[in-house]
Amino acid sequence: MIEFAWLIPALPLLTFLLLIVLREKLKKASGYVAVLISGITFIVATLVFLQLIDVGNFLMEWSWLTIGSIDISFGILLNPLNGLMLLLVAFISFLIHMYSLGYMDGDQRFSTFFAYLSLFTSAMLGLVMSPNLLQFYMFWELVGLGSFLLIGFYFYKNSAKQAAKKAFIMTRIGDVGLLIGLILLFWQTNSLRFVDIYQAVTNGDMSGGMITLIAILIFIGAIGKSGQFPLHTWLPDAMEGPTPVSALIHAATMVAAGVYLVAVMYPLYMASSLAMMIVAIVGAFTAIYAATIGLVQNDLKQVLAYSTISQLGFMMLAMGVLGYTAGIFHLFTHAFFKALLFLAAGSVIHAVHTQNIKEMGGLNQKLKLTSAVFLIGALAISGFPLFSGFFSKEEILASVWAEGQYGLFIIAIVAAFLTSVYMFRLYFLVFHGESKLTLDKVKPVPMTMKIPMMVLALFAIFSGFFNTSWFGTYIADFLEEGATYLEGIHHGSSIWLMLLATVVSLGGIALAYLIYVKNALNQENWKTSGTYQMLLNKYYMDEFYDNTFVKGSRGIGLGFQYVEKYFVRLIILFIGDLVTTFSRTGSKSQTGQAQTYTAVAFLGLVLFAAVYMLKGGY
Amino acid sequence: MTTIPLQAYLILALILFCIGLFGALTKRNTIIVLICIELMLNAVNLNLVAFSQLGNNPGITGQVFSLFTITIAAAEVAVGMAILIAWYRHKNGVNVDEMDGLKD
Amino acid sequence: MNGEFIAFLILSFTAILGGILMLNLKKVVHMLLSVVLTFVSLAGIYVLLSAEFVAVVQILIYSGAVTIILAFGIMLTKHTARDERTSNRLRAALVGVGVLVFFFTVYGAIDNLFFGPGAEGLHVENTQQIGERIFAHYVIPFELVSIVLLVALMGAIVLARKEGEENK
Repeated sequence: MIEFAWLIPALPLLTFLLLIVLREKLKKASGYVAVLISGITFIVATLVFLQLIDVGNFLMEWSWLTIGSIDISFGILLNPLNGLMLLLVAFISFLIHMYSLGYMDGDQRFSTFFAYLSLFTSAMLGLVMSPNLLQFYMFWELVGLGSFLLIGFYFYKNSAKQAAKKAFIMTRIGDVGLLIGLILLFWQTNSLRFVDIYQAVTNGDMSGGMITLIAILIFIGAIGKSGQFPLHTWLPDAMEGPTPVSALIHAATMVAAGVYLVAVMYPLYMASSLAMMIVAIVGAFTAIYAATIGLVQNDLKQVLAYSTISQLGFMMLAMGVLGYTAGIFHLFTHAFFKALLFLAAGSVIHAVHTQNIKEMGGLNQKLKLTSAVFLIGALAISGFPLFSGFFSKEEILASVWAEGQYGLFIIAIVAAFLTSVYMFRLYFLVFHGESKLTLDKVKPVPMTMKIPMMVLALFAIFSGFFNTSWFGTYIADFLEEGATYLEGIHHGSSIWLMLLATVVSLGGIALAYLIYVKNALNQENWKTSGTYQMLLNKYYMDEFYDNTFVKGSRGIGLGFQYVEKYFVRLIILFIGDLVTTFSRTGSKSQTGQAQTYTAVAFLGLVLFAAVYMLKGGY
Repeated sequence: MTTIPLQAYLILALILFCIGLFGALTKRNTIIVLICIELMLNAVNLNLVAFSQLGNNPGITGQVFSLFTITIAAAEVAVGMAILIAWYRHKNGVNVDEMDGLKD
Repeated sequence: MNGEFIAFLILSFTAILGGILMLNLKKVVHMLLSVVLTFVSLAGIYVLLSAEFVAVVQILIYSGAVTIILAFGIMLTKHTARDERTSNRLRAALVGVGVLVFFFTVYGAIDNLFFGPGAEGLHVENTQQIGERIFAHYVIPFELVSIVLLVALMGAIVLARKEGEENK
């Protein structure tokens, strides 16, 4: 079965082509086709994964380009990390395809949506199966394209158009870093295959400085894709896309590609403590930074977006403190509960047609199931004991503590506390309190949307048990099996950490309950304070970028425009005039008078004769 | 037999040829242009006759050739004149610079 | 300084004078007459070169026939026409310079050309010699020339005829 692994990215690609070509014919059926094929993809991925557990490693390569002595191949690499990602992406993609059937129902470009979604899925699956960096980079860009198309899906809305452009450009900044790192790596190791790169790092073929430089450049790529500070501003704007897209791309899979990239290049990072430090600091800073913004946002999806950024920060933090398995484990659990939260948010939006949480309230009576699954997701992300987020987050904290990064540990604890505060602020404001909406405006949620949410809710609760210090660290063991360089690093958890995590989580929930349900604290002072305004405006990051980079480039552009206007254009006009003058003269010389022609011919003859004579030709 | 050197005749022919050439290339009246061409032909004839007397391979042949040339020149004048008259009927003018049909 | 040389000087002078007058006179008819002067002088030069028959033909054809045809041409067109010297002074100057350069170039080639004492007895029964040569050696060119003359004759008639006359 494993040799058919190439089918996994090929099937969604087939869907894409099929839907693009037969868009008009299939119409409503295109959704079912897409769901069916993504289901098959998921089944294939599962079978491959099951076999992979026995095999452990699988590599299949075709020669693609040969430049001199360097072979660039195209192929499929399967190891525990890839396999896990594969399964995750295929699974969530399948659920979201199904959810979209209900959510996108009645949309004008129903088929196109599924085509794009399939294209993205194909690219993401290809990404995680890449055996070399070049193929990885190709799929990386394809994933970016899919994201761009889907963010701009409602392209007739100006904000969506702008958001799509912003996402594309911001991630491109990161991609430049990745590309430079890739080129440097190729220069240093003469190969782009992961195994060769690992080998080169182990053999010490590269100097320490070069490794650090490359690791940081590649991390810049990860920053762009995973929405880490300071390239995070595109991710909240990306919520302009349809909600299933936000769930799949901007919560569960694509944004995790950055974390995956760091995981794939982990030997490189392990060889450079500085690069690790930077990853950890950026991750920790992003985690707390985004969490503070998430506290005050009023747009349902924006809060979730900032929470995504914050959680990705946690993963990066874990990566930076040798918590490889913790980071991947959190990626794994986060994919489930964040997708769940987005889908729940999507069904809220689907039902009430607004995203502003100030206009919602008391929805737990109308949307019982949605309310329940949202609560599950919120509990999971907050790290409520025995939910999936509890285990993964606790492991990250354990890794940070074990590395002795006590500053980062405190930041992580605060960020975790803030996480449960803003998540439950969201939950209480949306689902509790008085209903501010008229009852008949609330639409029922169709079955196709309910099933994925219920499945995800199950996983949000139980996926944590795949890796616990009580029942067995299955995922960690599995991952370490495929990554020999991880040997000797294991962060055991301790009871006090679990207690601390529980206290933090419950404390956050309690605080949110006091403020937003009991109104125990006076919010007026808070709302007029400068800090609140700063948080509401996201630390003015967008304004900062606008005033520096955007205005700066505009200024440079303006300067060049003047150069173009008064200098380049002058030259061009001059050249144009020159040509015109020449042709005018030329056409004027075509008088049609034989006598003139003869005279010219004669003068030419004379010229030759004179030259001949002067040369003494007789 | 003759005491006049060959180059005297050749220079005379050259002068006449140059006069004819200059006129043919600058005069506006088509009849004058035709006359100038005749002058050039005459200069060539003079060369032929001079070489028949004083050339590298003297003999009567040069004179015979000059006769042929004269005949052809006469025919040329006749045709040229006919064209000129037809043109004149068509455009009511005989100036060379009005003939710019080649432009089209 | 014998008589032959004096005759050559006078004849060549008149020939060149005819050409220069042709270039400088105003009236077209005068130009034509000045060129006749050149033709007649050239006939004299031919006699000096022992080519009596060619000289006679020169007078007959050039001074006679060609001149008459051209005179008719002038009369049939604008016989009062004056030739404004040139239409384009710049071109005249350029062509003048070109002609001068051409003159000196060719002059350089023919200066001091000498092939030998020259032929004897070309003047003895000149016409007979020419006749023998033409009809012994150049019969076919002769016949071809007659055809050319015929074609020229017909062509001239066709061209000079009024257009559309055949419809009458």
